[in-house]
Amino acid sequence: MSLYEIRNMAVAIAGEQLVEEVSLTVGPGQCTAIIGASGSGKSLTCLTPFGLTPGVVSGSMLLDDIDLGSADARHLRDVRRRLAGFIFQQPLTALTPHLTVGAQLQEATMQAGAARPSRRELARKLERVGLSRPDERLDQFPHRLSGGERQRVMIAAAIAHSPKFLIADEPTSALDASLRAEIMELLDELRTEEGLGMLLVSHDLASVEGHADQLVVMDKGRVVESGPAGAVIANPAKDYTRRLIAATPRLQEPISAFSRPGELLLETDCLGVDFDRPGWRRGKIRAVVDASIIARQRESLALVGGSGSGKSTLGRAIAGIGPATEGEILWQGAQLPERRKRSLDMRRLIQPVFQDPVASLDPQWQVQDIVIEPLRYLRPDLTKVERNEMVRQALSAVALTEDFLTRLPASLSGGQAQRVAIARAIISAPQLLVLDEATSALDPLVGAEILKLLSQLQVENGLSLLFITHDIAAARRLCHRIAVMEEGRIVETGNMQAVIDDPRHPATQKLIAAS
Amino acid sequence: MLVLITRRLMTAIPTLLVIILASFFLMRLAPGGPFDGERPLDPATQAALQQAYGLDRPLWEQAWLYVSRLMQGNFGPSLVYRDFTVSELIAQGLPISLTLGGLAILLALMFGVTAGLFAAVRAGQVADKTIMMLATVATALPTFVTGPALALFFGLWLGLLPVSGTGEGGAWLIMPVVALALPVSGAIAKLTRAGLASVLKQDHIRTARARGLSETKILFKHGLRPALVPVASYLGPAAAGLLTGAVVVETVFGLPGLGRYFVQGALNRDYPLVLGVVTLYAALIILFNLFADLIYGWLDPRMREG
Amino acid sequence: MLKRHFPLVLVLAIVMLAVLLPFLLPWSYDQIDWNAVRAPAFGESHFFGTDEIGRDRLARLAAGTRVTLMVAIAAALVSLIVGIAWGATAGWIGGRVDEAMMRIVDGLYALPFMFIVILLMVVFGRSILLVFVGIGLVEWLTMARVVRGQVMGLKQRPFILAAEAAGTPSIAIILRHILPNIAGVALAYLMLTVPQVVMVESFLSFLGLGVQEPLTSLGILVKEGADDMDMTPLGLALPGGLLVMLLVCLTFEGERLRDRFS
Repeated sequence: MSLYEIRNMAVAIAGEQLVEEVSLTVGPGQCTAIIGASGSGKSLTCLTPFGLTPGVVSGSMLLDDIDLGSADARHLRDVRRRLAGFIFQQPLTALTPHLTVGAQLQEATMQAGAARPSRRELARKLERVGLSRPDERLDQFPHRLSGGERQRVMIAAAIAHSPKFLIADEPTSALDASLRAEIMELLDELRTEEGLGMLLVSHDLASVEGHADQLVVMDKGRVVESGPAGAVIANPAKDYTRRLIAATPRLQEPISAFSRPGELLLETDCLGVDFDRPGWRRGKIRAVVDASIIARQRESLALVGGSGSGKSTLGRAIAGIGPATEGEILWQGAQLPERRKRSLDMRRLIQPVFQDPVASLDPQWQVQDIVIEPLRYLRPDLTKVERNEMVRQALSAVALTEDFLTRLPASLSGGQAQRVAIARAIISAPQLLVLDEATSALDPLVGAEILKLLSQLQVENGLSLLFITHDIAAARRLCHRIAVMEEGRIVETGNMQAVIDDPRHPATQKLIAAS
Repeated sequence: MLVLITRRLMTAIPTLLVIILASFFLMRLAPGGPFDGERPLDPATQAALQQAYGLDRPLWEQAWLYVSRLMQGNFGPSLVYRDFTVSELIAQGLPISLTLGGLAILLALMFGVTAGLFAAVRAGQVADKTIMMLATVATALPTFVTGPALALFFGLWLGLLPVSGTGEGGAWLIMPVVALALPVSGAIAKLTRAGLASVLKQDHIRTARARGLSETKILFKHGLRPALVPVASYLGPAAAGLLTGAVVVETVFGLPGLGRYFVQGALNRDYPLVLGVVTLYAALIILFNLFADLIYGWLDPRMREG
Repeated sequence: MLKRHFPLVLVLAIVMLAVLLPFLLPWSYDQIDWNAVRAPAFGESHFFGTDEIGRDRLARLAAGTRVTLMVAIAAALVSLIVGIAWGATAGWIGGRVDEAMMRIVDGLYALPFMFIVILLMVVFGRSILLVFVGIGLVEWLTMARVVRGQVMGLKQRPFILAAEAAGTPSIAIILRHILPNIAGVALAYLMLTVPQVVMVESFLSFLGLGVQEPLTSLGILVKEGADDMDMTPLGLALPGGLLVMLLVCLTFEGERLRDRFS
């Protein structure tokens, strides 16, 4: 007997059919996960039947024998009030900023008509989701809590009125890698204890593995494949699912051989980066402390850490686009000066690629002007014809056709924009690329392609890569060695596989457990 | 919170001091000397000025003298209104100006927030578009046009309201306050509408909706407060605008408020009067900005940390 | 275009009339027709009649609009230049310099501008130059804040960092990446500054502290009309109506532009 059942559901917004022929079931105490890339219609599928999107829904949706399809707005509100609980992606913004945690939890508790809870009861609810010092939290405003703490409050509020059904829309995507596992475990625990049915939505197959009983794979508004999670992953029936599984990095998967590293290229010696505190306050923020890493020719080094670990700051210092306040950066033994003092010849050696592909390109410029920009200053010796020829070569190296030359960034998809950014980075023939979360903002399939492109470029052009990421499994596909950062310090370095097999530092262990 | 207030005060006091000193030195810079205006001064005023500014002493000492007298509420003698000191004129005019301004801002807030709320709830519909159009028109209505127009229509033609002076009862206040409040209420309506429109799109509203709350409760409990942040930050400029508008309204409706003294002073180069009023206005506006900061913190606790 | 941008079309029409009318009308704005003092509107030789001393209303309206708009555009340009220079510098350098520069703007924001402009006027005598320098120097604050916010936002964008890594010098980054990306917003705020300045200028002139006779401006015409409104309401209605129409249209277009770019 199922708690929630969707049969042949379709969703349209403003006349456009965005979701079609979706069917799924959720049993009591069970978790059904919907997996799909952005724009696959997964969020619409889970939120629209409850009236939480502007979409118009058709088909049959039964929750606890109530037909949501025929319910009017008031009725749906009643269903949300009594039967369902919701957890959303952004814990930063999903709580009302001007109401205390206690006030919001109280509102959630009373939403189905329960009596006003005592302070002790509210505190107990926070304790239940694993928040320390729950009594103190009740009087705090949401912005005082960390991302993970806020998501715990969201969960406490979502189950405060004892619903039968929980909907979690990307509950861990906005959280640090090491927190994701904890939050998923908490959800599992609550689900089994309370006998809740849960509909989980995610873009990341790895994050739901081991948590979902049923799996529904969606693409372009349709269900590609569905069934018991273990069976679908072990034995995918459809090509899309196979590709998705192949694209999702895993720590256990076999990897192909890497190129052989050459001589020592880059070395940082006790590098430190301090920032002034904002405002007139005295003191410094130490973003990077005593960081010493090396990178050889044709070698990829993964720089892995949670958000705020200082990995991007270190990467920017090396690339000469961020400050370095202490220590030295050495290139083949010679000193590379700090940011503004770096000469054009030095800049030619190292080029960056960033996380957000769209923000990496000037929205006013055409692709050809964007790609040519490094040549203008770094290779003043070239003629215009030579430059144009190099732009074409760079584009073809990243597998883009010449049609893209005159396109504007706004007309590119995320993957295409990232390819343009990579073309710009390699056009001046650098020896080291600093890749700052270069695949994190992309959909899994696209991210895997970019990863493959990078590894291919490395072999063909003999590039060294500094791959900055929070995702060890993705790094493992590309990198020879790993350096783990926490709170501005390098806490562990070593051969990639060796570190994964035997992590010494707690931070490394946490990151590995989360992958 | 306390930190924020102290920090604001720490910038407010130097700002005020800078204004006072700047105006003082500006006055001393005036071509042909500040006190030999078109009309020769009578010996009594001359002596009073001499005494007030110590005109024979070094400049910095004069400035210090002026500031320290200001602290005691002594703004010096008026050159136009010979029988009064500036302090006396301020004491006379300030209550009228404050009444006008206070009533106008209350009216504008009530009217503007209500209209903005109404438009936001009906977003995209005819009512919304009409209200926003009217609000834009209202913001573009200068008091020096609406004032005379109202006086002409309701005073001279219909004979409903007094055109000039203070008179008995409160009827004399109606037209000046309306003329003052109109542009401010238009601006507040627009800010409220825009604030609500952006807040209602935010995630926490979806959370509230997911809880099955009624739309009214969502609007008032979860939406309104953060939506009013832009309104709060407009209060400072609004106060400045009202004080400026009051100058016109008092002139148009012949009210013996501070603004009218100011204009008379300005037209007749009555330096002590103009200086006194500018200083007072600056202090008032700074005070009002401080007040707006307090409201900020209540509307959105994130601002309390500054 | 004509229907969507009706306000803009209206403003352009008013500007055209203000510029061309003096060449078409037989009367200049300060010429007195002794034979037709207080002539009624729509008469033979004076379309909108004459004022209480026999000057042609239409000619005065055109002259007033011209002066008002000239002051407004000049002051808006002053505010644009000062605002962009100040805001872009603060935003680009950042850190304590930005902190200090923006504190100054905050401090100035809290001032009663209008009174400071008047104070300047009292001290240095009334002149049209002072009117628009004064106004321009006051109205740049909003522009500076907006530009600074935009520059701060852009500076963090990876494409600026990529330009730095590409060896592009700072000045070229500002000229080629930053300025083109803030141009739209700056234009919108320039458009919104114009009605602000029109308002300030008219206010000053209304009080007799702005543009001085024999020159005229919409503010002066409103003042003259208000003084004489019990005799001829048209004297108030014409410049008042025209002023409000200009302000409304400019605000509409400016806001539309602003919403498009932000």
